[in-house]
Amino acid sequence: MKELSLNILDIAGNSVKAGATCVQITITETDETFLLVFKDDGCGMTKEQVENVTDPFFTTRTTRNVGLGIPFLKLAAEQTGGSFSIESATAREHPENHGTTTTALFNKNSIDFTPLGDVISTVTTLIMGSPGIDWRFTHTYGEKEVCIDTAEIRAVLGDGVPLDSYEVIEWIKSSLEEEYDSFYNN
Amino acid sequence: MTVDFLAAKLNLEPVCCPNPQKEVTGAYIGDLLSWVMGRAKAGDAWLTIMSNINIVAVAALADTALIILTEGVTVDEKTAETALSKGVNIFTSQEPAYETAVKISQLL
Repeated sequence: MKELSLNILDIAGNSVKAGATCVQITITETDETFLLVFKDDGCGMTKEQVENVTDPFFTTRTTRNVGLGIPFLKLAAEQTGGSFSIESATAREHPENHGTTTTALFNKNSIDFTPLGDVISTVTTLIMGSPGIDWRFTHTYGEKEVCIDTAEIRAVLGDGVPLDSYEVIEWIKSSLEEEYDSFYNN
Repeated sequence: MTVDFLAAKLNLEPVCCPNPQKEVTGAYIGDLLSWVMGRAKAGDAWLTIMSNINIVAVAALADTALIILTEGVTVDEKTAETALSKGVNIFTSQEPAYETAVKISQLL
């Protein structure tokens, strides 16, 4: 994909499908590396599923027998000289503490590093699509940080205000834009 | 024209060809797989330098006639085996994508 933000949208969709109630998307940058971690509390995957998840012909979808979200993210990371891994615990085997953690490490200085792109649209699209999930998005680079936590927003607004209402999404969008403005310009 | 006819005309080296009678009706050049997936047309010869297993999935989804790995690029055994089992034709060209595409254009 031309932008990592599109990969993020795709991979986070897996957490939604896994029935997660809380999804954390964390980007940790240094001068050399870009670390992208997805952590959810969804139904998890079996050992066999984890082993096969980077195979494009292995998918949970029933409409066609090819799934490319994970293979594309793995490729994007590895073509920068980075790495990719997935850990998962199923709800059946670990009823108290289940979910999936997907980690992609990129070498930022590689010529084949895909730019992050419009991550604000990705985050607002995810919130709009599944307003009931607790989304926590954090992007740090040294001391600088951008963060949005829909559980916090929900606690302030109360249960009567749906997070996918136009005003809330616009507020989240402008809040992220402001944070990113100082993130990149100072 | 068929895949085996094109391969013979262009001196393409076969990696695997489970579907030699498939019709070639056009060509597409691209290396960003997600981009190719949405743009290559059914029946295209897809010219690329990418060689990981994901190309087999993209070719299967886009229903391209064959993959031509340009500039002598090769694939690993697992990719070749998967392509064979999924009915995806793969060939190698020693020439770059542009020269290969020009020759295809003359045959179409």
